[in-house]
Amino acid sequence: MRKITAAKIGEGHYQVDMRGWVCPYPKYAVEPLVAKLHNGSRMDMLVDCPSATVDVPNVAEYMGCRVLEINQIGNGEWQIVIVKS
Amino acid sequence: MGRWEAISGEIKDVFYVRIWKRAWPIWAGAVALAFANIFMFAFARAIGVFPQMAMWGSWIYNLVGIKVDAPFIPYPLTPLHLDVHTMINFGIIMGAAMAALISQEFKIRTEDWRGYMTAIVGGVLMGFGTVIMPPCNVGGFYSATMALSLSGPLAGISLLSGAYLGGLFLKRQAAQAAEEIDFTALPMGEEVRKKENSFQPIMGAAVGLLLTIAAYAYAVKGMPKHAGLLLFGALFGVIFQRSRLCFASAFSGIFVSRNGTPMKWILFSIAIGTAGFAILKSQGYQQMHFVLPMGLHTVIGGFIFGIGMVIAGGCGVGILWRSAEGYVRAWMALIAAMLTSGAWVIIYGGHVGEGWLYGKPFSLGQFGWFGGALLIYLFLAAFYVLIKYVEAGRK
Repeated sequence: MRKITAAKIGEGHYQVDMRGWVCPYPKYAVEPLVAKLHNGSRMDMLVDCPSATVDVPNVAEYMGCRVLEINQIGNGEWQIVIVKS
Repeated sequence: MGRWEAISGEIKDVFYVRIWKRAWPIWAGAVALAFANIFMFAFARAIGVFPQMAMWGSWIYNLVGIKVDAPFIPYPLTPLHLDVHTMINFGIIMGAAMAALISQEFKIRTEDWRGYMTAIVGGVLMGFGTVIMPPCNVGGFYSATMALSLSGPLAGISLLSGAYLGGLFLKRQAAQAAEEIDFTALPMGEEVRKKENSFQPIMGAAVGLLLTIAAYAYAVKGMPKHAGLLLFGALFGVIFQRSRLCFASAFSGIFVSRNGTPMKWILFSIAIGTAGFAILKSQGYQQMHFVLPMGLHTVIGGFIFGIGMVIAGGCGVGILWRSAEGYVRAWMALIAAMLTSGAWVIIYGGHVGEGWLYGKPFSLGQFGWFGGALLIYLFLAAFYVLIKYVEAGRK
């Protein structure tokens, strides 16, 4: 099974790297990931699929999260900042 | 700020930032797609991409000494640079590459062998689906429904069921991978930060220049249809890339995520196109264009194609524009799909539309062009209500 790489950046701040996962994988993964996050914590999801910049925020916001930023971090790569509130 | 500074700022915002830097809203992509298809039909033909890809597959077989005819009779074996239909696909690839580069969204996106195997299986399924249905999602559902072919709505329902199955498979894979992550036991890591500088916009402009030169060369060589379809293809490539309008995702999202927003806009797009196609056909123009054989094969082929397009990461047109964004997964699916469909005449023993497998084409224009369009609108309305019903069950 393929693995998603993730790291802790600071207290209550995590980074989940889904670069290399074609759409719609990030859209499907964000739901179980957000469900596991503690309230108030921040998850930066890294994606390289353009559609994920629309789909992932939609799902996160539907689940009651705040999407603070969508930053392009390189050619065809984005960081989506999600805070569970 | 001076008047000229304000004007140049506004021009930059409209013609650079909004078109090339920001993603288009999905409704803009859907509306643009409909008008592009009406204009291209008026120019030559409607959009459909798979029959010519199947011809590429047959062409490759012949190149290595395996004699096989191309599966679709109106798309005979032709050197690719001379094939008028191939121009649409080349245009889509170049247009999407140009858009991806200008917006700095191009990246060679590699995966591990499991991703590629999934893409190849998806490509093979689409390869079989396209010759059995026929042809593909964009041709067999989107254009065919606009063209008042009864096969279009039937293909839509079949694609929906196949896409649901494919979507469940992908969702399970994503959920299993997400399950492994434990936020309380993650190793410390570095935050990935923004990188600066990119030459991609210049490369994108170079692709645009190449496209213009190629179209001009065809035009001066006495092949204006080739030139026009290359440019129309490029327009489609830009629309798909910038609006992220993905049919595979739109179909699978309805039942898997209970989110039908993209499909609702596709239905709206078909509604615009239906009016355009009905008007043109009512004037006697190409009345049987994209009126396709229909029967049980439409249901089976659509179902197979529906599974394939979701697990491959895009339908026929989806793997074309995604291949131009640098998805190696799409390249794998493309090769598998063309080599599968290209061998159809050997596998089946006949061409698409001939023999025991295929039914007859049925045009809703038989009820008059107004009546036929009305029936399509009823289908679109029923599809819309189904989506709303499914969405209402979202937790």
